[in-house]
Amino acid sequence: MEEVGKNESIRVLLDEGTVIAEGDIDLAGGPLLDAAINRVENADRLIIDLAAVEFIDSSGLRSLLAASRRAESRGTRVVLRRPSSGVVRLLTITGTTEQFDVEEASPA
Amino acid sequence: MTAVSPPLSSTGSTPVSGPITLTLPPIATMVRVGRLTASSIASLCDMTVDDIDDIKIAVSEMITVLIQSGSRTTVTLRFETTATEFSVEASTLTTSNDLGRNDLALAIAVLDAVADEHHVASTDDRIMIRIVKRLAPIPANAASLTRS
Repeated sequence: MEEVGKNESIRVLLDEGTVIAEGDIDLAGGPLLDAAINRVENADRLIIDLAAVEFIDSSGLRSLLAASRRAESRGTRVVLRRPSSGVVRLLTITGTTEQFDVEEASPA
Repeated sequence: MTAVSPPLSSTGSTPVSGPITLTLPPIATMVRVGRLTASSIASLCDMTVDDIDDIKIAVSEMITVLIQSGSRTTVTLRFETTATEFSVEASTLTTSNDLGRNDLALAIAVLDAVADEHHVASTDDRIMIRIVKRLAPIPANAASLTRS
């Protein structure tokens, strides 16, 4: 597992092509997540593990949606693995859940 | 970053009786500072964990919009509670009243969901966003102890 980005908001790791985000995906954390996604984006299946995300807002969601749009243009989809309750809630209230394949939702 | 009096009450869950203002530099890491400050103030108001989470999201959206739409000057937040509501007003200076230059749709959709009211306004030199979260009624026998 390799740490590829860290600041006051977020820590981002790569593990065999899976992007793992820990902490807050906001205006400060989003760019680091973007950079990590860009490193593995050409994989057949982009998986982003969000189990340790404590907070996400619309600027963080934009990073995920942008990755989803690029994946669709390649004929694939982004997998959100174990999204935390905060991630699930934001996806729900913005009506964007269907933009992703969601695996193993964490209990609220 | 400056916090302005009056200080919070030290009587447990008694809500704040006067406004609290917070001035933040317009940098991305300050979104978290504003969010955590809002959470701390909201926690004094007998709010549920879900309501406090809503306020954290709302304040994060507000500060983000103002940083992205403003003229890179400070963002000011004003928190106020009454017996019935928790409100936050945030503003910053701008050189344009064209809020449309940023994609606000997603942020507005989030504010719609997490706040009971929200208002976005701009003038020639200032952008302002206000949100209101209504407080759930508290039992009559506890009201005299916790809210003035």
